[in-house]
Amino acid sequence: MASGGTFLPPDPRVEEPYRLTPQMALRVAVLGGVVLVVFCALFLRLWALQILSGHQYLRVAQNNQLRTIRVEAPRGVILDRNGRILVDNHAGTAVVLWPADLPHKWHLRLRELKRLKQVLHVPINDMLKGIAARKGDPLTPVIVKEPVGEPQIRYLKEHQNEFRGLGFQDSFLRHYPHGPMAAQLLGYVSEVSKQELKQHPSGVVAGDKIGQAGIESAFDAYLRGVPGSDHLRVDSLGRPLGPVAQTTWPTPGSAVRLTLDMRLQRAAQHALAYGMQLARDSNCYGCWDANGGAIVALDPHDGSVLALASAPTYNPGVYSGRVTTKALAGEGLTPQTAREKNYPALNRALVAGYPPGSTFKPVTALAAMQQHLVSPYSPEPCTGSYTSPHDRAHQVFKNWDPYVNEAIDLPTALAMSCDTYFYRLGDAFYGLPLSVGHPLQAWASSFGFGRRTGIDVGPEYGGLLPTPEWRQKTFKTEIDKLWKPGDSIQLAIGQKDLLVTPLQMARFYALIANGGKLVTPHLLLDVEQSVTGGAAPHPAAPAPQQVGVTPAAVKIVQQGLLEATHASFGTSTAVFGNFPVTIAGKTGTAEKGVDPGDGIMRNFDQSWWCGYGPYDKPSIVVCALIENGGHGGTAAAPTALKVFEEFFHEKAPSLGAIHSD
Amino acid sequence: MAIDYSGTATDRARTRARRAAYATELSFLRRLDWLLAAAVAGLVGYGLWAINGITHHDVEGSPHYFFARQATFAAAGAVAFALALALDPSRLARYWRPLYGGTVAVMLLVFLVGPVTRGSQRWLDIGSFRFQPSEFGKLLFVLALAGFLAERAKRINEPRTVCSAVGLAALPIVLVFMQPDFGTALVYGAALAAVLLIAGTRWLMLAALTATVLVAAALILWLLPAMGAHVLQPYQVARITGFLHPDSDPSGATYNIAQSKVAVGAGGLDGRGVAGATQTNLSYLPEHATDFVFASFAEQRGFFGTAVLLCLYLLVVWRGLRIITVARDLFSAIVAGGIVVAFLFQIYVNVGMTMGIAPITGIPLPFVSVGGSSMIANLAAMGVLLSIHARGTPFRRR
Repeated sequence: MASGGTFLPPDPRVEEPYRLTPQMALRVAVLGGVVLVVFCALFLRLWALQILSGHQYLRVAQNNQLRTIRVEAPRGVILDRNGRILVDNHAGTAVVLWPADLPHKWHLRLRELKRLKQVLHVPINDMLKGIAARKGDPLTPVIVKEPVGEPQIRYLKEHQNEFRGLGFQDSFLRHYPHGPMAAQLLGYVSEVSKQELKQHPSGVVAGDKIGQAGIESAFDAYLRGVPGSDHLRVDSLGRPLGPVAQTTWPTPGSAVRLTLDMRLQRAAQHALAYGMQLARDSNCYGCWDANGGAIVALDPHDGSVLALASAPTYNPGVYSGRVTTKALAGEGLTPQTAREKNYPALNRALVAGYPPGSTFKPVTALAAMQQHLVSPYSPEPCTGSYTSPHDRAHQVFKNWDPYVNEAIDLPTALAMSCDTYFYRLGDAFYGLPLSVGHPLQAWASSFGFGRRTGIDVGPEYGGLLPTPEWRQKTFKTEIDKLWKPGDSIQLAIGQKDLLVTPLQMARFYALIANGGKLVTPHLLLDVEQSVTGGAAPHPAAPAPQQVGVTPAAVKIVQQGLLEATHASFGTSTAVFGNFPVTIAGKTGTAEKGVDPGDGIMRNFDQSWWCGYGPYDKPSIVVCALIENGGHGGTAAAPTALKVFEEFFHEKAPSLGAIHSD
Repeated sequence: MAIDYSGTATDRARTRARRAAYATELSFLRRLDWLLAAAVAGLVGYGLWAINGITHHDVEGSPHYFFARQATFAAAGAVAFALALALDPSRLARYWRPLYGGTVAVMLLVFLVGPVTRGSQRWLDIGSFRFQPSEFGKLLFVLALAGFLAERAKRINEPRTVCSAVGLAALPIVLVFMQPDFGTALVYGAALAAVLLIAGTRWLMLAALTATVLVAAALILWLLPAMGAHVLQPYQVARITGFLHPDSDPSGATYNIAQSKVAVGAGGLDGRGVAGATQTNLSYLPEHATDFVFASFAEQRGFFGTAVLLCLYLLVVWRGLRIITVARDLFSAIVAGGIVVAFLFQIYVNVGMTMGIAPITGIPLPFVSVGGSSMIANLAAMGVLLSIHARGTPFRRR
C-alpha cells in the first residue's frame, strides 16, 4: 500500500468492506485441503470397489439371489438274490431351514422356531442344534423334519411369508419292508457328519445322506446316486421369484443285489429266537442268560453268503426320517441302553469273537494228519481224563464225558467229540521240535483263523489265534509269558485264548465241505444301473484258494462229521439223524468267561453247531451259535436244523434224546 | 480485477465509491454465481433421475410414486431457495438470538408432540406433511452461531468466547442426539468446527477442542462401556466398531455394510440398470431410498453415474469455499463456511458408509435421498450461499 501524505478519514457513505485477510485465506485453504482429501478418498474407494473388484462383487450379488438347491437322488434299492426287496425308498417332502435367511435377531428367530414347532412338533432344541451344526456353512439347508404330512406342507406354503428361510425339498426315506431281519447287516443311512465329510472322497457335501453301516456303507458308492440341482431366484427373504430356472436331473443310485436269500434269512432269524428259547428252557448252568446268537449260511463252493443273522436285532426304521434319541434308546441303540438290550447293533456273525470249542477239533485233526502226528484209522485211547507227560504241573484235563474208556479212530473221535483224544494230539504238537515251528497255528491260519475273512461288508473282527510269540508279547509276568503244554492241549479242542467269529467258522466248514478250498465270503451278487438298466461294473467275487490240505485228510474229517450226525454215538444224531437230507456237522460247547451283568465273571457254555449238507453234494454250510446256550446239541444244532429245513424244504421228524458235548 | 493501490487515499476512496455505484447498478441476475446455481440445478435434476430408477420397484403399480413426491419437494425447495436468495443474510446477523431460541424450541417440541417412529422421535406432523426439524435446524444452527461469533469477532481470541459458542452449540446437538439421531448430531458437530475455524478461533484452541472431542469419543466408545455405563445405544456402538472391523460378522451387525459394498461393487463401470439391480430390487440393500441410496445408485448406474454425481458435489463444495472468500462480512463468511462443511460432511459420511470407509449413521444424501425436509433445507442452504455471493461481489467485475 502506498503511503499518502495526509490521513483521510473513511468515507461514511461507503461501508468498510470485509477483507480477506491472509489468516482467513489460510483457513479456507485448510478447508480446501480437507475437501480434496475427502473427494480423493471417495473416488479411490469407488474405483477400488467398482472397477478393480467389480467382477467379484457382481458374482456375490448374483449368488445372493441365485440359490442352488440340491435335488436329492433316490438311493438305490437293495435286493436279495431272488430279486426280493430288502430296502427301498418312500418318497416324501422334507421341511428345511436355510440358516442364512433366518431372522438375525435372536428373539425373532426364536419366535419363528416356536411357530414352526407348533406346526411340525419338532423340539426347538433339535432345530437349534441343527442350525448350530451348520455354523460356517449357512448355505446348506438344515432338515427340520421328513417326511412332513400334506396338510402341514399346505399350511406352511400358505404362510411362507411368515417363516423366513423356510424351504421344501423332495426327500426319499429308506424303508425296510422286513423290519428287523438282517438289520445289522443292511445298516442304515444318515446325513453325513462333519468328521465324515473330511475323510470322505469328493462328491459328498454337507446335507447329503450316506450309508453308515453294513451294506449301506459298504456299497455306498453304488447305492448313492448323483444329486441334481435346481437354480432358483429368491429375494432377500428367501421367497422364490418365479419358477425353477435351470435343472440338472438327479441320477438315482444303482440297485445292489445281494447273495442273501431273504427266505433263508428270515428262517435264520426265527431259528435264533427258537434256539435261544430252547436254551433257556434247558435248565443248564448259565442258559438263563441265553440272549444272543448268530447264524451264518454260506454256499460252500464260492463263499456267497446265503444268510447272516445276529440276535438280538433292532428295527432299522428308527433311522429313517427324524432320528430321535428316544426312539434309538427304545431299540437299544444308544450307549446307555445298549447293554440292557444286549447290544442289538452288534453284528455278532462278523465282529464277535467266541472260543469255538469242539467245532475247532476238525482243524486239529487236519493239522495232525498233515503233520503225520496221527494215523487216522489206528485206534487211540479215549479216556476220562488226560495229563500231559510234558507238564511239570501235572494238570489234569477232563473229558466232557468222564465215564468213557475205549480205543477209537479219528472219525469216531470227531463223532463222539472225545476231548482226551485231541488232548493227546495237542500235546503231540507241543512236543514237536522248535525247528518245525507251530504247525497247528500255521494250519489254523491257512484255514482262515486269526485273520479277517475279507468279506465285502465291514467291520469285521479277525479273531485271535494264540501263538507262543503272542503270549510273549501280550503278557507281563514271566510265568504267563511261557507257552505251556496246557496251551497246546486246550488249543486242540478250541478253548482258552482262541477266539473265532461265526463267519470264520462257517468259512472253515465250507473248506471241509468243498474238499479243501478256502472261499472268501461275499454278499455282492451284482449291481444294476438305474438309468441304463444294465449291469454296473463291480469287482468279481474272489476265487476259492487251495490251501494245500490233502483231499484224503479232508475225506476222513468229512466221515467224522457224518458219523457225528448219524452214528449212534454222534453228538447231534438226535437232531439230524432222521432228517431226509444227509447233513454232516459238529457240535461245540465252548466255555467262555461271561459277566451276566452283576460284575462277576463266570464260565458259561457257548453253544455251537457247524455243518453242511447234503453230505455227498454239499450246497449249503450253516454255522449257528447261541450265546450261553449250553451244549451244542441242545441249542445250536436244532437252530441250524431250522435253517436246513427252510433251505431243503423238508421237515425234520421230532428230536430224539440228545447226548452231546 | 485487483484493487488499484496507486494514487492517493482520495483517489482510492473515489475509485471505491465509483465501483460501489457501478455495482448497485449491476442487475441482481448478473451478480449470481451461475456456476453454483447450475451445479445445484444439476444435482436436483440428477437426484430426481436417480430416485426414479432406485424406487422404480418400490410401490407396485406406480413406478414413479417416489419420483413424483420428490419432484414436489424439489418444487417446494425451489421456493425456499428463491426466498433465501431474496433475503440479505447480513440482516439476519443481529437476530441470532431468536433464531437460536426458535431452533431449540422446535427441537423441544419434537420431544413433546413428535410421533415415535421405529424407536426414534425426529419428526413433527403438520397436516399431512411430516417434517424433520433437525434438517432445517442445520441451517438455523449455522446462522445463529455465526451471528453470535460475528458479534464477538473482536474477542474471538478469548477462550470465553469460544467456550460460550461451544456451549450454545451443545444444546441443539444434545437434543438431536437424544432423538436419537446420532448422524445428524455429528453433522452439527462438523458445522460447529467449521464455524469456529472461519470465525478465526486460535489454532491452539481448535487443537484443544479436537483433543477434547477425541478423548470424549474414546470414553464413549470404549472406556465407559467397559465400565458399564452406556452413553450410546449398543446398536450405535456396533455400527461404529463394525465399520472398523468390517468382516467381524457378515451375517449380523455388519450385514448392511456387506450388502452395501456388494451393491456398489456389482455396479461396475456402467451399472446394472434399473431392472438388473438385484441388490436394490430384491431388498438385500436396506433403506435403499434413504440412507443407502448411494449404494443403490452405484449399483444401477455404475462408476460413470457416481463419478458424475461426485463431480457435481465437488463443484458445489468448490464454489461454496470460494464464496467464503468473497463474502461481504464476517457473518456471511462464517455462514458460508458452516453450510459448506456440513454439506461436505454429509456427503462423506453417507457415501463413505456405503463403501465401508465411514461409520453407519442415518444421514440422508443431499438432493438424492428421498425426503422432503432434507431436500427443502438443502435447497434453502444453497439459496443462502448464492445470496451471500450475490451480495458479496459488489467490488468485483467479471
